[in-house]
Amino acid sequence: MKLTNILVPLAGTAIDPDVIEYAIALGRAHKAKITAVHVIEVKWNMPLDAVLDAELERGEEVLALAEKVAEKLGAHISTEVLQAREAAAAIVDTAVEQRSELILLGMPYRKRLGRVYVGRTVEEVYVKAPCAVLAYRQEEPK
Amino acid sequence: MSDDDVTPPDDPQRPSDVPERFERAPGRRIGDQRVKIVRRRGFRRGRGVIVATEESLESAGLGGRMLSVAREILFGKRIPTERESEERLTKITGLAIFASDNISSSAYATEETMRALALAGAAGLAFTMPLTVAIVTILAIVVTSYLQVIKAYPNGGGSYVVASRNLGMIPGLLAAAALLVDYVLTVSVSVAGGVLAITTAFPGVDPIKVWVGVGFIALLTIGNLRGIREAGVVFAGPTYFYVASIAIVLAIGFYRLITGDIPAAVPPPQAVQANEALGIFLVLRAFSSGSVGLSGTEAVANGVPAFREPSARNASIVLIAMGTLFGTLFFGISFLATRFGIQVDATETKSVIGLLTQSIVGQGALFYVVQAATAIILVLAANTSFSGFPRLASILATDRFMPRQFAQRGDRLAYSFGILVLAAVSAILLVVYQGSVNGLIPLYTIGVFIAFTLSQAGLVRHWLRERGPGWRFSTSINALGAVVTGIVTLVVAYTKFLLGAWLVLAIMPLLIYGMWRVRRHYQMIEDELLIPRATQVHLAVRKPRLIVPIARLDRSSLNTLGLARAICADVAAVHISYDEEGAAAFRERWSRVVGPELPLEVIVSPYRALVAPLLSYLDAIDDGDRSRPVIIALAEFVPSHWWENALHNQTALRLKLALFSRKNTSVIDVPFHPEDEDAPH
Repeated sequence: MKLTNILVPLAGTAIDPDVIEYAIALGRAHKAKITAVHVIEVKWNMPLDAVLDAELERGEEVLALAEKVAEKLGAHISTEVLQAREAAAAIVDTAVEQRSELILLGMPYRKRLGRVYVGRTVEEVYVKAPCAVLAYRQEEPK
Repeated sequence: MSDDDVTPPDDPQRPSDVPERFERAPGRRIGDQRVKIVRRRGFRRGRGVIVATEESLESAGLGGRMLSVAREILFGKRIPTERESEERLTKITGLAIFASDNISSSAYATEETMRALALAGAAGLAFTMPLTVAIVTILAIVVTSYLQVIKAYPNGGGSYVVASRNLGMIPGLLAAAALLVDYVLTVSVSVAGGVLAITTAFPGVDPIKVWVGVGFIALLTIGNLRGIREAGVVFAGPTYFYVASIAIVLAIGFYRLITGDIPAAVPPPQAVQANEALGIFLVLRAFSSGSVGLSGTEAVANGVPAFREPSARNASIVLIAMGTLFGTLFFGISFLATRFGIQVDATETKSVIGLLTQSIVGQGALFYVVQAATAIILVLAANTSFSGFPRLASILATDRFMPRQFAQRGDRLAYSFGILVLAAVSAILLVVYQGSVNGLIPLYTIGVFIAFTLSQAGLVRHWLRERGPGWRFSTSINALGAVVTGIVTLVVAYTKFLLGAWLVLAIMPLLIYGMWRVRRHYQMIEDELLIPRATQVHLAVRKPRLIVPIARLDRSSLNTLGLARAICADVAAVHISYDEEGAAAFRERWSRVVGPELPLEVIVSPYRALVAPLLSYLDAIDDGDRSRPVIIALAEFVPSHWWENALHNQTALRLKLALFSRKNTSVIDVPFHPEDEDAPH
């Protein structure tokens, strides 16, 4: 499969730099454009376009870190902050709009009730995305 | 903007201009709408602040963009401050940057010693090795002392900091002045030396040697403006290339010596003739000439913060490595030169190191490699100054002894202003002395030994005051360093005074006075501007009077009047006419176009002057109360092309200059661009 656009949603977890690094490796092989997005989930009791300073600042920090990782590797990535009710839907819609062939998701290693917890957003994107989805799960902490 | 654009909700705490634009985008399903947060060009949000991105520095015009591309090619991409730690030097690059001056001295230290001794013939040359041992011993003392400097001042000591903190302002400034002069001379001497090596191989270059030297300074300037890390990477190769090539020659030489295969010394074109009796003055002169090899030893201690963490430890390792390398090369060259009977060339066409190499390895490829490596290292020795001078100047500027520009970092985190000043002064010196090494050498060295002595003496004071663990040992090391380098300072000053050192000794007090005056100026300004601590500040609320000088009623002046009305309640227009008919005509036109809404004062100036009557008018309306602020709004027509400025008489500029020093007077420049559609018609 030829990749021209790769979408990388970033949540600001410890795995973000690894995901970006992997996306850049993939992107280099395919000469694909990489877009990193951070989605701010807006609660239903607030307008969708509410200006959430703290969340916006955190989102910009997450994306600035991704840009730094890319710069160190000699690559360029585009970044975008979004606000939506559900992160998964915003990710899928952005992938459709940008005609991304691949969504590369980072999955921090978490356990709930003794089992690895995939997380709501990853699960939803897997189910709803029309394009390929790749989950990069963090290795088990030693 | 589309109809879907959303304005952020009103919030009295928030300025209306948030650094983002909110664009609503539909989703695939109803209810899956999302808002794209589009950053405004050149800005992004930081923690509680708005951060200007690199994009904000980029010019929108074609000329500006082309300039930006050219600058990026020449100097590299801009580096943000947060990446400062990545721009630091490793031990490998640090040695190349800070040690190139000291290590390069090994190329001529032996020759300088022998040249003086050769005047007394064989009896004089017999002192070559004892003097070499003496200089290497002093080097060991200086290196050990500077290790103490790094220990005491891990954030970057250097002679100025040590002397000023422990001995007082004047000794500190003396150390600083001595080092600044020496850094400039290092550049000029090194470049002249490198060019001499080239003209030796290619005599055709001789007529343009000054400009070749200036060209080298320009190259070094560009390299250093690209940032210290990149300069280290670029200049590391030649430094190690020189060390390796000389080490190979010495290894072959020692091998031939041990195996008894002693080569015949290649004679110089014309050996220095013995015409002086061997005396203490001659030996001291030879010693002071050879001591030139100790210059650059202080550079590492000055630049500790430039090293990667643990910076103090890395700097100490580099300092030891530098001393070991220089000591080994200098000792090896002196030893083999004396054992093989190398003579000094009176015509200065062939160097001792060149003759030694030729004697050991013949005139093969290795000989040319060594010659090339020597020429390159001599030029690159100047690089140590390019890291030392700007750093010292920035410390002095932070202490307000030098203009503030020296403390500002450029696009690549280099102290660009210091680099440019060093390049300019050393280039001027090179031109004045017509690129002559012999002319410049006598000026050299004295400054560095003054700095050595003061920093060692300062440290003695430091240890005596601190009395921490091991203070007795540290004190004795630095006391020994101070005494030894103090003696060398006197010897160098005594032997080189008439040869040109007087010039350096004369310049230093002037520099100190200059630095003191700069400090006094900043202190005076500080006293004027300082707000006392714990004082609740009440901003002045005195309402200003706004005057709009109007030359003629047009779109530009109406634009200015509009702005004036928007920002101030007390606005008056002033028109200066050359005759009464003109004044009446203007008043009539004013009443038709503007009406009675704004007061107008018309001044008739029969002597056709504009600026002086306006200034007199301002003085008159003050009515003796100079404390009331006056704002002058000047309408300024901005032509579409820069060359069209010549077609306008620049009255606004003349007025601005005249009003610049008037008390309580602010000037607002209201530019009018001919293509401005929003201006009143």
